[in-house]
Amino acid sequence: MSQTVGVSPEMAGLHTPEARINKHKADWRGWKFMWPFAVVFIFVFIIPICYAIYISFFKKQMIGGTKFVGLENYSRLLSDTQFWSSVGRVAIFTIFQVPVMLFLAAAMALALDSMKLHGTKFFRISTFLPYAVPAVVSTLIWGFVYGAKYGLVGSFNSFFGTHIDVLSPDVLLAAIANINTWEFTGYNMLIFYSSLSTIPHSLYEAASIDGASEWQIVKSIKLPELKGSLAITVIFSIIGSFQLFNEPSILQNMVPGNAITTYYTPNMYAYNLSFSGNQSNYAAALAIVMAIITMAIAYIVQLKSMKEQMK
Amino acid sequence: MTSNGRLTEAELKAQEKAAKAAEKARQKRIAADEKAERKRAAKNGFSNPANPTRSIGLTVVCAIFAIYCLFPFAYLAINATKTQADFTSTFGMGFGKTFALWDNIVTVFTYQDGIFGRWFINTILYVVVGAGGATLLAIMGGYALAKFRFPGRNLCFAIIIGAISVPGIALAVPQFLLFAKLNLTNTPWSMIIPSLVSTFGLYLMWIFSDQAVPDELLEAARVDGAGEFRTFFQISLPLLAPGIVTTALFAIVATWNNYFLPLIMLKDSNWYPLTIGLNQWKDQASTAGGQAIQNLVITGSLITIIPLVISFLCLQKYWQSGLAAGAVKE
Amino acid sequence: MRNVKKAIAATAAIATLVGLAACGNGSGDGNANKGDADKAELVFWGWDSGNSMKDIIAKFEKANPGITVKFNNTGTAEKTSTALSNAIAAGNGAPDVVMLEDPTVTQFAVTDGLVDLSEFGADKLADDFAAGPWNKLQYNSKPYALPIDSGPEMFFYNKAVFDKAGVDGESIKTWDDYYEAAKKIRATGSYITNLAGTSNDYQPFTAQIWQAGAQPWKVDGEKITINMTKDEGMQRYIKFVQKLIDEDLVDTKTPNWSDDWNRELNDGTIASLTIGAWMPINLMTGAPDQAGNWRVAQLPQWEEGQEVSAEDGGSALAVVKLSKNQAAAYKFIEYMTHGDGAQVMADTGTFPSLKKILTSDSFTDPTTEANKKTNDYFGGQNVNEVLSEAAQRPTEKFQYLPYNPFAQSSYGDEVSKAYTGEITLEQALENYGKKLAEQGEQQGYTVTVK
Repeated sequence: MSQTVGVSPEMAGLHTPEARINKHKADWRGWKFMWPFAVVFIFVFIIPICYAIYISFFKKQMIGGTKFVGLENYSRLLSDTQFWSSVGRVAIFTIFQVPVMLFLAAAMALALDSMKLHGTKFFRISTFLPYAVPAVVSTLIWGFVYGAKYGLVGSFNSFFGTHIDVLSPDVLLAAIANINTWEFTGYNMLIFYSSLSTIPHSLYEAASIDGASEWQIVKSIKLPELKGSLAITVIFSIIGSFQLFNEPSILQNMVPGNAITTYYTPNMYAYNLSFSGNQSNYAAALAIVMAIITMAIAYIVQLKSMKEQMK
Repeated sequence: MTSNGRLTEAELKAQEKAAKAAEKARQKRIAADEKAERKRAAKNGFSNPANPTRSIGLTVVCAIFAIYCLFPFAYLAINATKTQADFTSTFGMGFGKTFALWDNIVTVFTYQDGIFGRWFINTILYVVVGAGGATLLAIMGGYALAKFRFPGRNLCFAIIIGAISVPGIALAVPQFLLFAKLNLTNTPWSMIIPSLVSTFGLYLMWIFSDQAVPDELLEAARVDGAGEFRTFFQISLPLLAPGIVTTALFAIVATWNNYFLPLIMLKDSNWYPLTIGLNQWKDQASTAGGQAIQNLVITGSLITIIPLVISFLCLQKYWQSGLAAGAVKE
Repeated sequence: MRNVKKAIAATAAIATLVGLAACGNGSGDGNANKGDADKAELVFWGWDSGNSMKDIIAKFEKANPGITVKFNNTGTAEKTSTALSNAIAAGNGAPDVVMLEDPTVTQFAVTDGLVDLSEFGADKLADDFAAGPWNKLQYNSKPYALPIDSGPEMFFYNKAVFDKAGVDGESIKTWDDYYEAAKKIRATGSYITNLAGTSNDYQPFTAQIWQAGAQPWKVDGEKITINMTKDEGMQRYIKFVQKLIDEDLVDTKTPNWSDDWNRELNDGTIASLTIGAWMPINLMTGAPDQAGNWRVAQLPQWEEGQEVSAEDGGSALAVVKLSKNQAAAYKFIEYMTHGDGAQVMADTGTFPSLKKILTSDSFTDPTTEANKKTNDYFGGQNVNEVLSEAAQRPTEKFQYLPYNPFAQSSYGDEVSKAYTGEITLEQALENYGKKLAEQGEQQGYTVTVK
């Protein structure tokens, strides 16, 4: 019998029992690689979160100092209409913005990967480039675009005689969603794209030998490959849009009629409570509740499929 | 047959070694073949064997999207050529009366004793140490999660998702207090340490390691007697290249554009990164008695983006070789 | 091995957590921290709109060889006060000297973050400063900061636009005159001014009601009375502004300090502003095309013949209680606000609050380089002469709420609704009053709403 190539499957077979034994015996080797991340993560996230939970049971007043109030902050939050209106707003934002953005990102990634484009490199960088712009600057730019008097919308209006105002309260959220889509489509595209680039060439080869059409290749090879990255982009996008802060707070001073209130999004509300309202304890309670809501939604939407992926 | 049934330990080892070497050689061959195939295909203008032609229609659709992505940059580029007076008085997408791009660039680097240069160097420091470290930690962590079944592994996922669901704004105060306790505020460490965590990078590397590093290869290396770290550096890292580049790019941009954290942590303008510095300049226009220097803000923003574009261009070749990583996965 | 590392990480985590939990309550005793008045390394947080801090500090260090000052530019007033409250909460990392916007001083005084400057004899300086800025910095009749600049409310107008509408800006003496002028200016397509009710309009709002003699809130120790709409001065203000809104005489779409705002000032869409005396430099850089057209005049009055002024903006220097070098820090702020530094500040464009400078010949001398530049923009008018007169006018006593940052940010939330026409200004202010009352109660005050 051949002692070289032919043996290898059996050899692999020989070793699986050992591997299985390892699984039962608590295999600590992973921590060799995991601990640096874990240490920094505990320092930067876990300790501050524990502290936030701790202070959410207290109340600090200008008159009377700090006192323990139990769950008072939480019960106040439940009946805080400003808070729930902000949650509703980001929920609507998420429902519309995340699918549009991810669809664009996936479509762009597939187009780039199809090798059917002229100038693939150019399109790849132009899609990604907006992500490189700091939020401060991109909001400045879009603020100009949206300007009904001096901006592009204004020029459009005077040219066509229309009266479009994208910053009016009814469509403001969509205007913000557009900024976010512009900023983050490239980011998500890149994730999809780099995951597509791990598909082995031989798969395509086999598919073409079988006479598969372009669409069949996309459907049965590429889309399944995207599933894994889709799960994580969905979760991170949901978390991201629930934490909407930069764009509305920078736009705040450009929008007529103060349509962006200090409680426009939960994060802005937390910021204002904490930094201009001297209510860090209440803001901490808000943060904890938001985290629970976000996790619940992420879980319902995607976590299950993501967990499978991670098994 | 009988002798084969009961191999001595030495024989077993030798066999394993031979098998491993053969497997390695085979993988190498496949990788090389595929690389050549991809090269040939790319040269001919197609790589998707089912469809060799480029599509004008698809290109046009993508071009429309590219315009959407790029036209705000035209705004930035045009306005970087204006003086402050032209900025307020002329139309946003048209050029000003004077072409002041060079003046603006010079002023950006000389204003307030040339502090912009200092901010630039700071940002590079934060990116190299912070984003570099974040990438390394994410690779190691993601690799561990994908390739080892260690105690606590199943909890990691839930804990990390839970932690990043907490609004960062509300964590800023506790983070600040913690860093202040340790006398780390107002030092580069208050910028670098939090930058070391890239949860998104961790997940990305988790997925990538799962897909790109075959278990058999690791087993083979272990059988070969290689330590975990040697296996990691010599076998896994090269396979992870496209994932690493993606993760690094995200970490770089995230650190480069980090705004909220340094705003809380740093009060010494000598340690500011570019984003905070530019925002301080922007605020100057809305301060009582302050001079508006929007022209410098715009020009500074444009300069800020350039290094990111360069690093993107440098890194992008790694995605093309992503195929080599995929080669071992069948 | 791994277990040990994990254990170390966990222990460290718990230890820090306990440390954190313990910290919240520490606040040092002021008197122990006077330090050596002649030898210290001071840290100074503030903003630097005139780009003059470096020079002034160098001069101070030369005059006081034992003291060095490290200036950290903290950007804006809002960011500075946020940073200060964070540092105070952490109990470390706070500066020795801090620049604050006048209205926020009370808040830090109430929460024991600042040093009562009468310990160092600052109360004796009262008569040397203009009344407006000085009055804002007192808490329990003790000074907690010294004014570094001030902003008497002025009436800036674009003469070219006014001429076109047939209005003489000089003859606008009362708010009734202003209303008549507003109608004529509106007829030409421009607006007399912009009012959008955003949080950036909060300071001009307080200045205007202050001038109207309103007392929308009264703070008496732990008691606060809020009287947002029934107060006589408030009524006067509400009726007047509601009229401007109803008749479309003010631009309600453009918030202060936006890019659009600059553009409208620059193209004449906004024909005048009632804003602080520090405005000339902002106008010169923000509205360059109107060079030669702008003029400045005294604020219109509610009653003919009155000469009442009010303050919009203005900032002050304070000594932080956590400082270990309070005596040296006081020396520095005294130099900056009352000593030689004040003159340099005034020379570089900061509007002074020291009477000595306001009345000095050099301040109104039209031949100095800085004055010449400003006066050219204002069509040859001697700007500082007008401003100086305003600064010396009497002001009513006005008190800010101890939670002023909240009052400012929620002003935009509530009052802007009156400018979009959703509700009347009276309703909006009533809602605003309720918000302020709620916040007061949250902060432990006993609040009465009238």
